[in-house]
Amino acid sequence: MPTTTSSSSSSAASSSGNRQADVFSRLASSDPEVKLKALREVKNQIIGNRTKKLSFLKLGAVPAIASALSDADCSSNSSILVQSAAALGSFACGFEAGVQAVLDAGVFPRLLRLLTSSDEKVVDAGARSLRMIFQSNQAPKYDFLQEKNMEFLFSLLNSENENVSGLGASIIAHACGTSVEQQVLCDAGVLEKLVLLLDGSLSQREACLESLATVLKSNPEAVSRFVGLEAGRYMSSVTELTKDRYPRTRLLSCLCLVVIYNTSPSYFLNMGTKSSLVTTLLELLNDPGQSGDEAALGLSSLIAEKEDLQKLAYEANAIKNIVDILKTGSELNPKRLQGLFLSLAELCSKLEDCRCSFLSLEMLDLLVNELRHKNADVRTAACICFRNAARSIKNLSAGRFTTDHVMLPLVQLLHDPSSSVQVAVLGALSNIVLDFSSPKSTFIEYGGIKQLIELSKSMDPNTRCSSLRALRNLMFLADNNRKELFYSEVKAQGFVALISDPEPSVQEQALALLRNLVDGCINSIEFVFDEDGLILDTVGRQLRKAPQAQMAIQGMYVLTNVASGTELHKEAVMQQLFPQPQAESNNFMLKFLQSHESQLRSATVWTIINLISPSSPGALDRHVKLRNEGIIPQLKNMVNDACLDVKIRIRTVLSQSMSFGDN
Amino acid sequence: MPVRVVESNAPAQVSGSDPGNRSPLPRSSLLAAGQAFSGTQNVSNQQKEEAWRVNVQIQGVDLEHGYLCGTMEALNVPMADTPVITFWEGEIVDGKNYTFNTGKWEATREDDLRHWSKFPSFAPLQGQVESDGGRQLDLSNYPYIFMRWKEQYFVNVGTDCGLTIAGFYYVCFSCSDGSISGFYYDPNSSPFQKLELKTVNEGRSGFSFSSYELQ
Repeated sequence: MPTTTSSSSSSAASSSGNRQADVFSRLASSDPEVKLKALREVKNQIIGNRTKKLSFLKLGAVPAIASALSDADCSSNSSILVQSAAALGSFACGFEAGVQAVLDAGVFPRLLRLLTSSDEKVVDAGARSLRMIFQSNQAPKYDFLQEKNMEFLFSLLNSENENVSGLGASIIAHACGTSVEQQVLCDAGVLEKLVLLLDGSLSQREACLESLATVLKSNPEAVSRFVGLEAGRYMSSVTELTKDRYPRTRLLSCLCLVVIYNTSPSYFLNMGTKSSLVTTLLELLNDPGQSGDEAALGLSSLIAEKEDLQKLAYEANAIKNIVDILKTGSELNPKRLQGLFLSLAELCSKLEDCRCSFLSLEMLDLLVNELRHKNADVRTAACICFRNAARSIKNLSAGRFTTDHVMLPLVQLLHDPSSSVQVAVLGALSNIVLDFSSPKSTFIEYGGIKQLIELSKSMDPNTRCSSLRALRNLMFLADNNRKELFYSEVKAQGFVALISDPEPSVQEQALALLRNLVDGCINSIEFVFDEDGLILDTVGRQLRKAPQAQMAIQGMYVLTNVASGTELHKEAVMQQLFPQPQAESNNFMLKFLQSHESQLRSATVWTIINLISPSSPGALDRHVKLRNEGIIPQLKNMVNDACLDVKIRIRTVLSQSMSFGDN
Repeated sequence: MPVRVVESNAPAQVSGSDPGNRSPLPRSSLLAAGQAFSGTQNVSNQQKEEAWRVNVQIQGVDLEHGYLCGTMEALNVPMADTPVITFWEGEIVDGKNYTFNTGKWEATREDDLRHWSKFPSFAPLQGQVESDGGRQLDLSNYPYIFMRWKEQYFVNVGTDCGLTIAGFYYVCFSCSDGSISGFYYDPNSSPFQKLELKTVNEGRSGFSFSSYELQ
């Protein structure tokens, strides 16, 4: 005979479910007292509790509360207005699904109307709630270009109510996106209004700092205007706030200074300020909350491309500090991981000491683990970290990066679904494949050559360029086996396609790759003669087309390398330089010798040096030809070339020339 | 997060291609990554005359930071069964990153002058270096490059191979023909062991150049 049983857990679940269902019916009650109590209950349960927010959300709490707010709006019941606004604000606070639900419930215009209430508490609640919404990217677009919107914004900024003025600042912080908007806001005097909030309450200060950063970002005029306010008084205030006792204030003031530094570094000539900014951000890295996440990204933005700041950070023990945080073993959230890896990457970008220091801390295993992180931004940042650490030739030479457990996950990321990860890993692999003529290559063992060749056919020119750069590096000082392995996958036709790519940067890498292919053992030169000299002909053709300097440099080095071979090789190069028949205006050699790029002049002179190298029988005849084509006379005009290297090479040619009896 | 795609003028300074023009010394074609040199190191002492064959390969040059690095391979080393390869790092005397004054590795100013003055190409500079360390010297048009090379680790043998890499080399490179001479300095080894190298062209009739580009 079946009996009903009730286990303790199911009864607890059912009773909490009953309570929740009960709350809903009370929210809809016509008795304001009951409604108010229900609102308070929901609000108290969800504050700071994401799980509760989610569960109430799923039950449709937001529309129910939105209804309560609408009804109270009509009946002007202040308490209900305050509580429902507070509850809605709580749902939106740091919870994207909550923001979505609030906006979907269509209650946003009603919340705005609360700001005009005569009841200060209602205004307050409305402002707080709206501020939560404006923290999110889903907040409605605010059109600053519309005059009435600007008036409304200023009315908020002018309010004595700190939540209302803070709301004005929040709107600016999260909705100002373009330089046009920045300009419009500055012209309307928003900077002068915002800075007054710096002397206000904590919440006003923080809102002000956030919005300043948005208005000043990448806008030198806005920065200049801000710094000029009251002869730099507010700039000093922001600087002072980096020492405030509240971490979030310290963070926001630092981020504001980072924006100013990146926009107009001349305001930061004082080493002490720079140093203080770096050390404050480093300290904030240890903050367990959102401030720590943002500090990491802020630090990477500050030190990016700035060797002096990287040095300051390194001397302040940044690398060890960051590595210690990463090694704590606790689960760090993706934003923080991304920021920490990017900071490490920037530290390793230019300074060999930093790279060596980082690599000595046994971080590669941890980095390899994060290559498998489910968040694409983290994987990308880890790859960039790898890429920059692998700029250390010392460590590349020691084979640090070519162990299986490092190489395999990197190669696998070439097929990552995220394109930013693919680009980043291609960059890392480009450096890591430089194994300086070590015959064994784990990269090749994992099928790397085929993958790179595939990527060299991508629709995206950056990918084509990057993959060719990686192949170029792979072929640097490569032995014959490796060259054959590569060439067999490409062949002459494939090479011609690469050299003839529509993008100059891709052509440049293809030619640099070819240059490496024909370097080394003299037999390697034969690659360009495959299929009746197809590749060499293509190189000649490209050089005749008035190419960009960087491409021409690589092309001339291909010819230089070929011309260092046998008599036949040298003659073949002469054929490319002076094909019959040709108009004089096609003499690209003369043009290259007159280039502003010293490397191009240098490469061209090297070709000549090799062509008339005294050890070869045909040198004299080639010298005659070069003289008749105006090349030797041109070199005589260049004896005092501004570039020492070019000058030295020209003197080599001319002394050889003299030994041929040429005056 | 947008990823910076490196343009062909690579921002990474160490390269086998063009480092850009923020460097105190100009680029020299033959002192570049991929270039190989071959010659001898004279390791004679009072007991006997001895020379090892040496091959050097440059793996990286960063003129902006006055840095270069590479490998050195010593052949016919009596204590070793195979050639011994070491990795070295170099400091380029450019007046900005490094001067003629070593200031470390147990080398005094007197040791410095004693070694630099063994290079004929140092003679025109000697007076100024003696008086103020060469601070006013502009070496950007001088066709010789002075360096210190310090071996950092053994590539293919253990540290117990009976060889030492405690010292360093004072080096002079000739920009015109790429020849290198050097003197090894180690207070615990025979003094003035001379290194003499020339460019190597691997059986070619002329010069060949390879390059890489770091991203």
